[in-house]
Amino acid sequence: MKKTIHVTLNGRPTNLEVPAHRLLLDLLRDEIGLTGTKEGCGTGDCGACTVLLDGKPVNSCLIFSGELDGADIVTIEGLKIGPELHPVQKAFIQDGGAQCGYCTPGMLMMAKSLLDENPDPSDEEIRFALSGNLCRCTGYAKIVQAVQDAAAELRAKRAG
Amino acid sequence: MEELTVVGKPVTRVDVQEKVTGAAVYGYDLVLPDMVYGKVLFSSKAHARIKRIDTEKAKTYPGVVAVVTGKDAPWIHGEAIRDKPFLAQGKVRYVGEPVAAVAAVDEDTAQAAVRLIEVEYEDLPAYLSPEDACKPGAIPIHEDFASYRKMNFILPGAMPNVCEHFKLRTGDVEQGFRESDIVLEERYFVPTIQHAAMEPHSAHAQVDPATGKVTIWVANDAPFRALHEISEALGLPQEKIRFINPLQGGGFGSKGGLKVEPIAVALAYHTNGRPVRVKFNREETFISTLTRNEAALYIKSGVKKDGTIRAREMTIYWGGGAYAEKSPTVCIRGSLPGPGPYRISHVKVDGYAVYTNKPVAGSFRGYGIPKVAWACEQHTDELARRVGMDPLEFRMKNVFVDGDVSYWGEQLHSVGLKETLTKAAAAIEWGKKSSRVQEFKGLRVGKGLACIQKPTRSPTTSKAGVIVDAKGEVAVLAGTVEIGQGCSTILSQVAAEELKIPIEKIHMAELDTDAIPFDASTTSSRSTYHMGNAVRRAAIDAREKLAEMASPMLEGEKNDLAFADGKVFLKDHPGMALPLGEVIRRKLGADGTVRGDASYTYELAKELDLETGHSDNASAFYMYATQAAEVAVDEETGRVRVLRMSAAHDVGKAINPLNCAAQIEGGLAMGIGSALHEHMVVDDQGKVRNPSFLDYHLVTALDLPEMIPIVVECPEPEGPYGAKGLGEPGLAPTPAAIGNAVADAIGIRIYDLPLSPERVYRAIQENKKKVA
Repeated sequence: MKKTIHVTLNGRPTNLEVPAHRLLLDLLRDEIGLTGTKEGCGTGDCGACTVLLDGKPVNSCLIFSGELDGADIVTIEGLKIGPELHPVQKAFIQDGGAQCGYCTPGMLMMAKSLLDENPDPSDEEIRFALSGNLCRCTGYAKIVQAVQDAAAELRAKRAG
Repeated sequence: MEELTVVGKPVTRVDVQEKVTGAAVYGYDLVLPDMVYGKVLFSSKAHARIKRIDTEKAKTYPGVVAVVTGKDAPWIHGEAIRDKPFLAQGKVRYVGEPVAAVAAVDEDTAQAAVRLIEVEYEDLPAYLSPEDACKPGAIPIHEDFASYRKMNFILPGAMPNVCEHFKLRTGDVEQGFRESDIVLEERYFVPTIQHAAMEPHSAHAQVDPATGKVTIWVANDAPFRALHEISEALGLPQEKIRFINPLQGGGFGSKGGLKVEPIAVALAYHTNGRPVRVKFNREETFISTLTRNEAALYIKSGVKKDGTIRAREMTIYWGGGAYAEKSPTVCIRGSLPGPGPYRISHVKVDGYAVYTNKPVAGSFRGYGIPKVAWACEQHTDELARRVGMDPLEFRMKNVFVDGDVSYWGEQLHSVGLKETLTKAAAAIEWGKKSSRVQEFKGLRVGKGLACIQKPTRSPTTSKAGVIVDAKGEVAVLAGTVEIGQGCSTILSQVAAEELKIPIEKIHMAELDTDAIPFDASTTSSRSTYHMGNAVRRAAIDAREKLAEMASPMLEGEKNDLAFADGKVFLKDHPGMALPLGEVIRRKLGADGTVRGDASYTYELAKELDLETGHSDNASAFYMYATQAAEVAVDEETGRVRVLRMSAAHDVGKAINPLNCAAQIEGGLAMGIGSALHEHMVVDDQGKVRNPSFLDYHLVTALDLPEMIPIVVECPEPEGPYGAKGLGEPGLAPTPAAIGNAVADAIGIRIYDLPLSPERVYRAIQENKKKVA
């Protein structure tokens, strides 16, 4: 059954006609062509497909498109602030937070969501926030460092 | 020596920008025009004859483009041993073996049609452990094994289902045991685990109906080797096959050889030229791609009271799963240094790679070393304990040093092992009582360490091209695959260093076997050394040509020229510098280019003798590492908590210290997971019970201790700038170091991995009974 939904995708109002059972992940990747959101498991266990839905992080592999009418969706492609990389993206570059990079989009969306809620997290809070996002390459140390550095930059921006 | 400008610096990754923006295109993301979608029917039986396959209903299902079985794809592939059909031929050998495949207009349709395929099986006895599969009287899993084509180094075993028997014979172990004061014999076991790269497996394939050319898009870690394997299987000349490599979302050994590729190719022959996409989901990736060999390891050593190891004998059964894949070479290169990096006069090793009816096992980061280290390094601690020596002191007495002749007959050089031992130990305050006893009151705290030596596959070849254009931009043509390890950054640094061009101007060309020079593989921690040498020489070749061209322009001898910051100048007149692009423009015009080429092979390597395992030059270089762990064990629950872990790795020369630390940390995390909880559970019917990230526990950000990466630089004269390799050893000594720390904490040796709470708890309870 096809359904017409109206969503805001990365800041742009968009009308989509989608099969109601199509998963948000597949909608993004296969129908819209935004392949920055990754599929790691398809069962909500790895976090690679994390996007922001109405400002909250979700596993897009667990969301039906039919539920999305009126939703605000932000994917990795919409993380930049204008032409500028988001501080958390910059910090991942600087600190070596990405290796193969496959978990990186989901990790970044989760990190952004954490920093929106908690501008000054402890290492433990960062690790807890990212514990649903699996990474097989890095051992997480440089990711935690990058989130700390991004938090510091965001705080400095707000103060300055 | 000239000062290095970019090599040795913590340069940020050149491939990271596209990775943080979502622009990077991985194999799993690839969309081809007019493609069809493949899905697979997997075997539900561990070992059975196929009596009947009925595909009629699937063929007539609306939207289906093609249905194929082994009959439609009568090809067999395999690198060391050609034993693996594209799709099952007459029988199945594990639960998860591809039996039939469907291509359709979309994935849902293909999956629905797969469900309509009927298969009738007749069960055969299934062997689910390597030791069972090679017992006398076991029926063969491969009836036609004798007629399979094999590489010349394969020595099949006399026992059933043994596809490779590695032998090492040095001195006389029986004499060595007689000369010893203490003889200790133990058995260790390492279970199957999986690579679990975050990107699942996939492949795209297309067969051009006009030319017959087969094109495969896949994130394969060795596209040239895969091309060769496909070529041999199909009987097609190599120029009729092309591999295009999109980005790889991690592999760790799982994405070499052929995994999904044969299915995509089998379908592509039946779609009238339309490209086929076959994507495995996570469960399919778990059951039907590759696993790490399980291993049963028997180890016996004789030691003198003064701590000298006199003799060591090992028998190792490597569970290969249903097809050989790389198990024969894992067996060879894992068993060879299995007795550890120690001076021992009498050594005997028998390694058996054994077929079983389990998912295919083979290469996994570390290539055998994590398994032998689990046995050898804990056993070595037990020896130290029995002669009353500290484990560090015991190792310092026995480990290889420069000039030693190893038990396989090779004189070793650039051995940084002792430095790794002392540094890793110092980093966790070895010899001091744990400072965290108070913090973890009620728990038992202990320390342990383990060390390894790892060879690289040799001899192998890497070729490279370096093209400089009239804009002063540089393309590097190298067949090394960016699997996340950072090779594109390392090789860019090497090219930038030799051309003295800013690294921003270096671009790694896309990997396409039609355009890129040959490379053996992105495996075995070989790339920095081999491809680093090739790119370095190709860049020097280009620089020499540029010097030739610039010499008349600057009115000076070639030898008086110098390069810096993208320019060439006379050493005495640095003010009169010409940009390299300008040199090319003047000589060759605005679209001119200068190309340097090079090939690097470690020519000195010699094959191992089949009867003795000896070679006086077995590996281009050796990697050395020591890791040390501090743990707290909860005796009430059996839970092992790693408090901190140091890892000292001899990399020869750190071309990029930031990347070295990243590799070490990633290796440690994987090693800690394999030590504490990773285990791919296969039930008594051969079915994988935990093929998901819910049930197969990978380490999360919450599970890791403080990690202390330490880079040791004991230069390798033949390596680029002295570099060796680093990718694999990061996880190799980890479980053994943790096992030794657990034994130190609770006074109980645990022989099987993983060190799960249940296993540790049971060991504690049994020990209590024994003591009582």
